[in-house]
Amino acid sequence: MQSPFNGIRSVTLAAAAILAAGTAAYAHHGWSWTEDGFFELKGRITAIYIGNPHATLDVDAEGEAWRVEMAPPSRTIAAGFTEEVAKVGDEVTAIGNRSLDEKEKRMKAVRIIVGGKTYDVYPDRVPPA
Amino acid sequence: MDGLLAGIEQLALVKGLKASFVAYPIVNALHIMSIGALLTSVMLMDLRVIGAFRSLPQAAFVALLRRVAFCAFAGALVTGALLFSVRAREYAAMPVFLAKMGLIVLAGVNFLAFMRLCRAGGGEEPAGGGAVALAGLSLVLWMSVLFAGRFIGFL
Repeated sequence: MQSPFNGIRSVTLAAAAILAAGTAAYAHHGWSWTEDGFFELKGRITAIYIGNPHATLDVDAEGEAWRVEMAPPSRTIAAGFTEEVAKVGDEVTAIGNRSLDEKEKRMKAVRIIVGGKTYDVYPDRVPPA
Repeated sequence: MDGLLAGIEQLALVKGLKASFVAYPIVNALHIMSIGALLTSVMLMDLRVIGAFRSLPQAAFVALLRRVAFCAFAGALVTGALLFSVRAREYAAMPVFLAKMGLIVLAGVNFLAFMRLCRAGGGEEPAGGGAVALAGLSLVLWMSVLFAGRFIGFL
């Protein structure tokens, strides 16, 4: 019965690797994966997702493909940001916190500016006026 | 494949779930309930095979918990498919999601190997190193499934 124990070992290693990878690239939930200082991204919307588990924008910023994460849909829509207010191709400015991993083109937005209107998806976290 | 996944996202039920403030958290809660029941029943079965709770008759104990585990797995499968469906293309491209699916397949193969061992033994109460090894592997695999699943929300 050599093989099942080898199996246990390799699966344990795989699980450990998954855990290690997870702590290195935290995203989605919470803010622990983002930088403290505010970050501003300007670009053109390539995809809009307003839905569960949370809303996202894909933005093309000077040829770089960015993922902008927003609040859960209830909060995003409460902020006035719905599928009607923006469309693919629109210029957008996203203000928030970017990933601690500089190679990762991902940020969590607290404020979205599109079509001359400002939407504070995390009103309690927006930069002081 | 991409077309199929995009088609799933366009189903009326899925679009409703994507936009609902109530249905999605409920499905999410039912998924947690299912995996909680599944992990608990699997762990108790595995520990019994490994040698814990010897005062309880193994055949009856395992038969009851196996029924619970099957129902819980069915619940996890239905609710998990719904959670997957709202962003099918996104999840299908995530290594940690694919790792979770692979681990579930391995756990299934492990279960079939255990059933084979039961039949080979002629009874419902397999004993010895082989059964203990497969039960230990089952514990590790299902816990890995749980951890991989939780990390889908963080990667």
